[in-house]
Amino acid sequence: MIVAHVRGHRVMAEGLDEHAKSSWLSGLDARAKLIGILAFVVATSLLTETRLVLASLAFSVAFAALSQVPPGHLARAYLSALPFILIASVSVFLFAGYERGLDMWARTSSCVLALLVLASGTETFELFAGLRRLRMPAIITTLLMLTYKYILMMSEELSRMTVARKARGFAGGRSLLDRRGIKVISYTAGMVFVRSAERADRAFDALTARGFDKDMRGWRRSKIAAPELSFVAWFVTVSVILMLLQLGVSP
Amino acid sequence: MRVLEIENLGFSYEDGTVALKGLSLVLDEGEKVAVIGPNGAGKSTLLHLIAGFRMPFTGEVRVHGKRLDPRSAGAVRRDVGLLFQDPDDQLFMPTVEEDVAFGPVNLKLDDVEGRVAKAMRSAGVDEMAKRRPHRLSHGTKKRVAIAGILAMDPKVLLLDEPTSGLDPRSRAELISLLKGTKRTMLMATHDLDAVAEVADRVLILNISPVAEGRLGDIAGRGSVLEDAGLEPPQLTKVFKALEDKGFEVDRLPTTMDQAVAHLVRLLERQRRGE
Repeated sequence: MIVAHVRGHRVMAEGLDEHAKSSWLSGLDARAKLIGILAFVVATSLLTETRLVLASLAFSVAFAALSQVPPGHLARAYLSALPFILIASVSVFLFAGYERGLDMWARTSSCVLALLVLASGTETFELFAGLRRLRMPAIITTLLMLTYKYILMMSEELSRMTVARKARGFAGGRSLLDRRGIKVISYTAGMVFVRSAERADRAFDALTARGFDKDMRGWRRSKIAAPELSFVAWFVTVSVILMLLQLGVSP
Repeated sequence: MRVLEIENLGFSYEDGTVALKGLSLVLDEGEKVAVIGPNGAGKSTLLHLIAGFRMPFTGEVRVHGKRLDPRSAGAVRRDVGLLFQDPDDQLFMPTVEEDVAFGPVNLKLDDVEGRVAKAMRSAGVDEMAKRRPHRLSHGTKKRVAIAGILAMDPKVLLLDEPTSGLDPRSRAELISLLKGTKRTMLMATHDLDAVAEVADRVLILNISPVAEGRLGDIAGRGSVLEDAGLEPPQLTKVFKALEDKGFEVDRLPTTMDQAVAHLVRLLERQRRGE
């Protein structure tokens, strides 16, 4: 989440790419990052031994520390995922005991942290383009891209309406007992959807006007070179070692 | 050569509101025509009909000889470049150069690199290739949006309120860009000063066509502009006032160059004591 400027006003808007350029990961082809990190996530999900799960978590933490993505940003993102991690961990703890609950927390945390570094160190469009180049169906990647664009549009509309509301002295809605405030916020929510839908139609027409055929194509395509291969090799090697240890194969 | 032919065009919205009626218009290659009229006159609807986003109820549209119908809309769209009123609706990709390349890549045009470089140079945005479009000023966004259209090399440019929301400097830059392009252009606008600078002729539209011709000629025809809810360019108003005060004005000027030439003539006559 970042603070962006919408027509001169300081407002909140979605900013998934805020730190993408601050990490060395941004220089790598998205496909290599996706393959490497998804292999690691799959391997970690299949681990059951506590020491291996903790080793996986340690690897994720080391990867996050070396990624140059600001730790504060990762911590905030992790905190927003934490309720879901806790629900899963506490459920397992209640039904299978303390150790299994801890395993679940470490396993999900390791996967979430690796994925957060991937998302933070890659521009959103590049990530979707990478998925497309890995043969993900066009309908899915296009839906992801349009969803991202429309989320930005909705947050812009919301920001404008919030500023307009405040400019006319509205300061309510802070309490559930403020009926008028709740009413105004409900109208705002409705208007945001109506206005965003109209803008979404115009944006879609604008895409169609430039030959969009429901498949987003990248222009300048990066190539898989030595840095990408070594990144994939690192992650695949770690994943394979974890899996072999899990299966009881001794080194 | 005729690039755009519109014959007896009519369109109504689903709720029965008539948006356009009985419109015929022809644009020859390289011609710049402005469609002017009050809000709700059907200007944007006309552009969207030509781009094939809506199908006309009556009449027909031909772009470069291709008749527009639901099957040919995609092919017709290759020949038209539509600039939307709000550039935020149009700009989509993460960087300026990728956004400019969006159309050529989709249309699988050749030499995307060359097209993008040329279009960005023409629109004066070549130094911001790596910038994020949504972080640019409104005026620059408009120029990036125009570059995105120029890169597609369309036969006809359709511009919806190109100067709206621009500060004076951005507006002047955009007008100079539009004046400089040799492409066939149909521009819907309220900005009569921009029309005077850019357009060869104007069509006044108020659901049906009201008048067509040179802006200066129309401005001189009684209250045609005022009746259509429009204000003549400031310069034209000044010379109309001079004419009302008994000064001889052969043809009402609409641009600065014409106005200066008129003034020079008037002052020379005065100096000679005529």
